[in-house]
Amino acid sequence: MKKLLTGAPVALALLLAGCGDDSKPLNTYEPQGPKAEAIDRIIQPIFLLAFVIGFLVFGVVAWLIFNNRVDPETYDPLDFPDQVHGNAKLEWGWTLVPAVILAIISAWSVPAIWDLEEKNEAGELDVLVIGQQWWWEYRYDVNGNGFFLDVDGDGVAGDEDDLQWPLELLLDPEDVVTANQLVIPAGQQVDLTLTSRDVIHSYWIPRLNGKRDTVPGRFHTWSVAANEAGEFTGWCTEFCGISHARMRMSAIALDKPDFDAWLANQSEAAAIPEEGSIAWEGREVFQAQCTQCHNITEDLDDPANVVAALTAKAAPNLTHFATRAAFAGNIYSQWVGIDPDAAQMDVSTYLDLGANYRFNEPELRRWIRNAPGRKDMAPEDERGMTAFPQLSDEQLDQLIAYLETLD
Amino acid sequence: MTLALPPAEQKFDGSPLGALVRPRTSTGLKGWLTTVDHKKIGIMYGAAAMFFLLIGGAAALLIRIQLAAPNQTLLGGDAYNRVFTMHGTVMVFLVVMPIGAAFANYMMPIQIGARDVAFPRINAFSFWVFLAGGLMLNTSWFLGGGANGGWFNYAPNNGIAFSPSAGIDFWNLGLFIAGIGSLSGAVNLITTVLNMRAPGMTWMRMPVFVWMTLVTQFLLLFAIPVLTVAQLLLMFDRNFGANFFNVSQGADPLLWQHLFWVFGHPEVYLMILPAFGIVSEVIPAFARKPIFGYPFMVASGAIIGFMGWGVWAHHMFVSGIGPLSVSAFSVATMFIAVPTGVKILNWVATLWGGKLLMTTAMWFSVGLIVQFTVGGLSGVAHAVAASDTQQTDTYFIVAHFHYVLFGGALFGFYAGLYFWWPKAFGYLLDEKWGKWNFWSMVVGFNLTFGPMHILGLQGMPRRMQTYDDAMGFSNWNLVATIGSLILGVGTLLILVNAMISRRRWIADGRPNPGPDPWDARTLEWSIQSPTPEHNFDYTPQVTELDDFWHRKYAMDENHNLVKIADAKDLAQPGNGEGVHLPAPSFWPILLAFSMPIIGYGVMFSLWLTIPGGILMMASLYGWALEPADDLDPKIDDHDGHGELVNV
Repeated sequence: MKKLLTGAPVALALLLAGCGDDSKPLNTYEPQGPKAEAIDRIIQPIFLLAFVIGFLVFGVVAWLIFNNRVDPETYDPLDFPDQVHGNAKLEWGWTLVPAVILAIISAWSVPAIWDLEEKNEAGELDVLVIGQQWWWEYRYDVNGNGFFLDVDGDGVAGDEDDLQWPLELLLDPEDVVTANQLVIPAGQQVDLTLTSRDVIHSYWIPRLNGKRDTVPGRFHTWSVAANEAGEFTGWCTEFCGISHARMRMSAIALDKPDFDAWLANQSEAAAIPEEGSIAWEGREVFQAQCTQCHNITEDLDDPANVVAALTAKAAPNLTHFATRAAFAGNIYSQWVGIDPDAAQMDVSTYLDLGANYRFNEPELRRWIRNAPGRKDMAPEDERGMTAFPQLSDEQLDQLIAYLETLD
Repeated sequence: MTLALPPAEQKFDGSPLGALVRPRTSTGLKGWLTTVDHKKIGIMYGAAAMFFLLIGGAAALLIRIQLAAPNQTLLGGDAYNRVFTMHGTVMVFLVVMPIGAAFANYMMPIQIGARDVAFPRINAFSFWVFLAGGLMLNTSWFLGGGANGGWFNYAPNNGIAFSPSAGIDFWNLGLFIAGIGSLSGAVNLITTVLNMRAPGMTWMRMPVFVWMTLVTQFLLLFAIPVLTVAQLLLMFDRNFGANFFNVSQGADPLLWQHLFWVFGHPEVYLMILPAFGIVSEVIPAFARKPIFGYPFMVASGAIIGFMGWGVWAHHMFVSGIGPLSVSAFSVATMFIAVPTGVKILNWVATLWGGKLLMTTAMWFSVGLIVQFTVGGLSGVAHAVAASDTQQTDTYFIVAHFHYVLFGGALFGFYAGLYFWWPKAFGYLLDEKWGKWNFWSMVVGFNLTFGPMHILGLQGMPRRMQTYDDAMGFSNWNLVATIGSLILGVGTLLILVNAMISRRRWIADGRPNPGPDPWDARTLEWSIQSPTPEHNFDYTPQVTELDDFWHRKYAMDENHNLVKIADAKDLAQPGNGEGVHLPAPSFWPILLAFSMPIIGYGVMFSLWLTIPGGILMMASLYGWALEPADDLDPKIDDHDGHGELVNV
């Protein structure tokens, strides 16, 4: 019994020891950006205080049991302890002292709530994050006119009247649209505007910041910031249906010049393969089979491409598909040798994945053939990708060849 | 199950009137189905909760087995969601709440010296409608799968567009119906405490458990309707095409969150306060001294009851409610730790200087103190909203509320079971098995939920069907699963103990443990064990807090405590002659079970609402017109003529 009683504090001590292990990609004890560090500075002393109080209560109770215990077999029921009914001073004391401690904790911690809300000066990088079942879309406002169109034609884009409209009519087709991996410049705060197309999700990259829900019909602000270049894993943390466990993401922080190069590349229209090549055939397959949902943005001077961008249903934009490390909600590697779960990718290779890794054809083939078999989805309700058993092996080869050219 | 009161012979010969003859029997199956006796109803609440505990526990073990190792496929995404949703829903609504109701029903009336609750038939109805709703919820397993929206069931995922299967309808309507039982029960028990206390039992002479029951029932009275409103809106959305939570029609999904948590947070306190009440009875009995600071214990419970209404949005710190709201709720949440801390410290002070008889009930009580403290401290950690942005929706929260609800509430209830078992069943639970029960639960519980603190801080999100080895969650998950198996066995040991103890007690021909096996303090120990059907032969007169104890012991002239009377001599003999009890009735159970028929009708075919509605109306009329003249003509009330009670 004594062993058991001493076992509990040992277990609690392990709690501290178990945290702060960098082989755990989602570890909240390894902040790597100023926001997460600010939270960490709050957490540590509070946990310390909690431990002290917890051990005190545990220790006193354990000590009382060992000291004051009587044997029921031999105990004389008339051997009474002092019949103490209470002690008002003591009780007021342990009402007021904790109240004062908590008041101090409040005064000290509440400002952090406001700090976490702090936004950049206008004009800095801002990314629109859209959650949907079960992947993330990112939109970079590269043309500087905001994320939203002037739907009601009053001359002001994205004002309150515009935001009454469904999201699909609102989104600026000229913005850079990517999925699952949020690419950011290292060493600076990136503001996020969060919303959702369907149910509530929550955006969480623990090494960079706490989480914030993405709620349909609402536009929440949040931010992430990484001290240095690197990959930081995240996971949707609001329950969102059958593939909630497979709605992951990562943030990839690149040094500023790399980031600028990346964004410049993403801003380009998709390359059109050489006529007659396998990839060209793949583009034909894509346009026949995939464009109902997916969009690959080609030259936006062509109004047909604008219409295509606006009418595609919610599915990842594939314009620069081959620049991404993983797909399907960041769960399947797009390149052989990258493990999206481990998420300690060497980001120096991120700018040129094709030169460092082999395209993960088998995984893509399995996915396109039978996506619902690879990840729980409900395509019958237009939630997630449908299976394509009708594609021939040759068509799949062509399609994958085309996707590999989208860098 | 071995839950059976010894047969109490009651003969009535009233005249048959009405559509269904008012039943005359208080024994056998019919006796249970038609009973209006608060004790039998209390036992049925307990038995039903134990039954649902098996379902909720099986779901818990499925979750733990699924998560024992990375990338397991025992449960697919959909199945996993149904299992964890039903686990939470069943445990909250069909296990912890009804165990609280079981103690409130059985113990509160005899602790205040009453013969029954204020409205015995409504009491029966409350139980049956809870059971009807609970069973209806669980029929979903066979009718398309359990609910899959989480116990919190957030909009818009709970809408027909995102959750087309009927599981959420079962959740919605099943709990709606069960909630009617909570509500009518709350009115009943509040009325009982307010009006039926024995003469002399002033507010400040009520046992702490009675106080906590009163606070709990007020919480229920005001909290359940908020959930009912949300469920009504959701029913119209899902079953009749309304748009209360349809974002494309301009709805704000946060409406559901506010409604749910305005209910949901008081809910947390109404689950824990009965357990607080129980250990406040157990600890003084086995520390051999009165509860330390009775007025503070009562006031802190009541203050928790009030403050519990002002902290709901701490469930929404990352929902995007704005920094001002977050700050306000963060501070409010921190300060609710003050009255809770007072309770902890007053229990510790009661132990301080006591002579501690470490019975199983006492072990479970100190288990509550320590484990609830852990849960309370992690609660303060995420009351700090900035810190909560990392912790919320991770396993850290799972650890937190299991320490509060399992390590706290359920341990308290087990303390109560060991403490009051002889009063209800006339034999003591075996102490050796009891220690096994306690220690296996302590070890299993802390192995299961202790590691979840670590997992949460290492970033493991909640409600995850699976995880990958590369995330580094594998080892602690395995430990938690091993712990859960120990805990599963440990939790069931009380049933084994009950069976073995009962058999042994009978086989050994042991004498009745007597009215007061623990040398305890309150009125329930002043009557025979098991409690006679009529509770009290005559209404006790109360002169002090812990009245029964002060009738046993008093100070002599040297201020030494001496025994002045023996419990056996003080106890009422259990002679029910001349006592009128309300007669059993068929109508409560019929009225209760008309409701799920209507519920199924809303889900599957509105035609079903017709027979359901007819049964409901017939039951209401039958109830209202039921004859009250079923007194045994030989039995007179004290004033010389039979009292016609129709409640």
